[in-house]
Amino acid sequence: MDARVQDAGIRGEIDIAGVNKVFGQGAAAFHALTDIDLTIATGEFFTLLGPSGCGKTTLLRVIAGFEQPTSGSLRINGAEVAGLGPNRRPVNTVFQSYALFPHMTVAQNIGFGLKMLGKSKREVEATTADMLRLVQMEALAERRPAEISGGQQQRVALARALAPRPRVLLLDEPLSALDLKLRKEMQGELKRLQAETGITFVFVTHDQEEALTMSDRVAVMSAGRILQMGAPTEIYNAPVNRFVADFIGETNFLVLPVASVNGATATLTLPGGKPATARLPDGMRPATGADVTAVIRPEQAAITGPEEAELTATVDGAVFFGTDTHLQLTLTDGQPFVLRRQNRPDQPPPATGEKLGLSLAPGALRVLED
Amino acid sequence: MVAPVDPADPAGAAADAPPDVARPGGWAAHRWKWLLCAPALTVLILAASGPLLIVVVYSFLTPGTLGGVTWEFSTDAWFRVFFRRDIFDPDVVTWNTSHLAIFWRSISLSLQTTLLCAILGFPTAWFIATRPPHTRTIWLFLITIPFWTNLLIRTFAIQEMIRNNGTINTLLQGLGLIDGPIQMMFTDFAVLVGMAYVFLPLMVLPLYAAMDKMDFRLVEAGYDLYASRLMVLWHVILPQVKPGFIAGSILVFIPAIGAYVTPRVLGGGRTMMLGNLIALQFGQGRNWPLGAALAMLMLIVVVGALIFYLRTVGRNDGERRV
Ligand SMILES: Nc1ncnc2c1ncn2[C@@H]1O[C@H](COP(=O)(O)OP(=O)(O)OP(=O)(O)O)[C@@H](O)[C@H]1O
Ligand SMILES: [Mg+2]
Repeated sequence: MDARVQDAGIRGEIDIAGVNKVFGQGAAAFHALTDIDLTIATGEFFTLLGPSGCGKTTLLRVIAGFEQPTSGSLRINGAEVAGLGPNRRPVNTVFQSYALFPHMTVAQNIGFGLKMLGKSKREVEATTADMLRLVQMEALAERRPAEISGGQQQRVALARALAPRPRVLLLDEPLSALDLKLRKEMQGELKRLQAETGITFVFVTHDQEEALTMSDRVAVMSAGRILQMGAPTEIYNAPVNRFVADFIGETNFLVLPVASVNGATATLTLPGGKPATARLPDGMRPATGADVTAVIRPEQAAITGPEEAELTATVDGAVFFGTDTHLQLTLTDGQPFVLRRQNRPDQPPPATGEKLGLSLAPGALRVLED
Repeated sequence: MVAPVDPADPAGAAADAPPDVARPGGWAAHRWKWLLCAPALTVLILAASGPLLIVVVYSFLTPGTLGGVTWEFSTDAWFRVFFRRDIFDPDVVTWNTSHLAIFWRSISLSLQTTLLCAILGFPTAWFIATRPPHTRTIWLFLITIPFWTNLLIRTFAIQEMIRNNGTINTLLQGLGLIDGPIQMMFTDFAVLVGMAYVFLPLMVLPLYAAMDKMDFRLVEAGYDLYASRLMVLWHVILPQVKPGFIAGSILVFIPAIGAYVTPRVLGGGRTMMLGNLIALQFGQGRNWPLGAALAMLMLIVVVGALIFYLRTVGRNDGERRV
């Protein structure tokens, strides 16, 4: 029985193939997960990102064993785990609600998994002490969950899940209840813990910034499907469709006519008549003259003098964000455009109604498959 | 378990103390408003303590010849609760063993009833608590149905089941499993079955309430941390429904120890309990002071048991302190 957690030295991984999850039956059936294919490498920090109700928790619960997939296969460290209960999988969960046992002390909570694995009292105590140190909770070991703060509870939940040294740690929006500062602190702490333990993390969040800053790879989900999977830079710079582009970061969507197509790129005509080169998605060859949707991030355009300007825009307003300002602009053909500019004392924000020339960073413009 | 907060810790006590400031128009103004409750309080105090006081007083009086009391101070009733004088030689004092046997039977049967109710009530409450929410009301309703029927009738129904030529014996004999009827009536067993049947809802309802409040995510957390079903039950579920067990035990034990109808009908004259003994003194026994003393004793036993129980079981309970 113990073998499942003992061999934590060997690096494991998760293989999900063709997993579907349907809740209910007949007319009331609800497809919570559709054809999920996913491979998570050992020691990876993998993030599931998506709007509320898209199936992130359901996928996590399938991996943990709280839900059985309706179809498909799930392997952990190469072994099929279908039919194994959560207590037979080398996987631990940090629950969104923490789910700490209220009648146990912090130390007893952390030691619970080891105790259930039948470890000796001495070993349980030693590991609990290590874990308490790891999450810096030694001083509060004898408190009960109700007597510590939310952030401390979160650390205890983490320590409790880490103590049995699972191959995989599942974290369901563990930071969503924390205030911004504590959240940033815990993000760093999570990264540190993951690096120190080498355990595979599957992290759920609906905060795109959190996903981008912490993950090795991100899977963007919507309505039970994985839309795109890749490194944060890939997801941000090359979103595969409108949903991903819209969900990750801020994006300008421009509907532009195609002037010509040359291999993997197309020349589009910008409002005002100037040409611009845009990358085409694989296999897309739009007809000349057809309208396509192109995207460009707000920080990938800059204000320039009238001579180099590719676009001309009128300022509608400015929103101050501390490090930078978002300028709300309208292009000459009426399409809205947001520009993000770093704040510098020598560059006061332009006045409303002012006309600006814009230039686009080379390679920034991408055509989307709608 | 270690108590995480030392109750004697003066720093902690000081931190917990409410700010002792009488703001003008604040607490000072509220201080006399309780007088508005005075009429209700008066009724309550008179209604609750008045009869009790009468019982205390009566237990120190002399029995009247045809029942009632004569106003003459005497500790004889209290003496006779525990002791007995030899009929021929009043100086020979022995323990009143028949009383002691009844005390013991009352306490033991009440404890057994409580235990039986807990054992039967837990799965019942669990079953209800795990039904879909809209059907739970129906199950709870079904549980309370016996309350709608007169206790005496319910007890006679039990009698019909267990008497010598009742349902169970007839059935067993018909199946050829037994030759003669099993004597169940007028035994402690009959009283136990009857009381468990009557008081079971009083255990199920608080248990259900505790389970309903229970955080089922903790059960998942238990499984996630490699606990088996049994371990989840023991380490996660039972500690969480403990307040329900405590409330249920109190609700069952207290009426059980004073039960009158059930031991009367099912136990007959042989397996008497405290309630019957007390009733006897006010009826045929015509010894009201003794009845009053026994009633006081029962009160003392119940309160004592309650305090002991809450001290031992209720102590160090994380959820309750929060
Ligand atoms: N037991 C269930 N029975 C029926 N439908 C369910 C069940 N559990 C989840 N669902 C549905 O499946 C969908 C996905 O739910 P899930 O909890 O996985 O969302 P999520 O992505 O975690 O959302 P959030 O970010 O709000 O936590 C939701 O529409 C939800 O209503
Ligand atoms: Mg969720």
